[in-house]
Amino acid sequence: MFGSIFSGAGFWDAGAWILAFLSAGGAALFIRRMGRSDYKKGTDQDEIYYSGNVVPDAEIFTVPASSAYWGFREALKSYYSHLTALHCGIATEYVGWFVFTAALILTFVLV
Amino acid sequence: MKLEDYLQVLPKSLWVFTLNSGSCNGCDIEIVASLTPRYDIERLGLKLTGTPRHADVLLVTGPVTRFMEPKLRLIYAQIPDPKVVIAVGNCATSGDVFFKSYNLVGPVDRIVPVDVYVHGCAIRPEALIEGVAKAVTLLEAKRAALLDRRAAGEGA
Repeated sequence: MFGSIFSGAGFWDAGAWILAFLSAGGAALFIRRMGRSDYKKGTDQDEIYYSGNVVPDAEIFTVPASSAYWGFREALKSYYSHLTALHCGIATEYVGWFVFTAALILTFVLV
Repeated sequence: MKLEDYLQVLPKSLWVFTLNSGSCNGCDIEIVASLTPRYDIERLGLKLTGTPRHADVLLVTGPVTRFMEPKLRLIYAQIPDPKVVIAVGNCATSGDVFFKSYNLVGPVDRIVPVDVYVHGCAIRPEALIEGVAKAVTLLEAKRAALLDRRAAGEGA
């Protein structure tokens, strides 16, 4: 159905990949179907288990991903303060810097 | 999967959720001892689960403190039917020496219906195994009754 793409590292067959995804999807659906459907909807059986407690608002118990780097950012605060000052967030300015730097490098390389 | 199919096609053995409702931890240690190679309760199919959503049996230790009462009610409610409750240890079954204490609302059967009582302070693993054997019989009877009710069209 699909041709294979050969390269120096081996071959890549789109049909084989589609077949693999379909098989995995079928297995996932089968496992999902094995789950019980007799929970009483709208009761406590439908609620998240949180060690027997009522689940609090997400803000109370969620640690945001940014917190994982708190120590890192705190230790390198002086570095980051300079770095963030350089980044204005305006895309046209970044593109301008890119064009300027590329032109400078090309000048050194070509001239 | 429908409950009928679930119980007929994939009947699993007891999955147990343990709850310490204010125990001194003595009974909990004996529960763990019953899982060790000497008693090896897992050979009978018993398996501890980390969530009541997967459990068939609620194993409660301790005399139920005021703090733990709403948690016990909620966890009991979260276990799908049919389910069996085993009160483990003298505290859970009767309150033992603490039964007049101001901060207790137990024993367990004042809060949720108890099917099997296992006495001891702390319990012996052999007693727990006997209690689990009784729970198997009760659970099978409850499963059969539930399926009969469903077959008769009365719902769960």
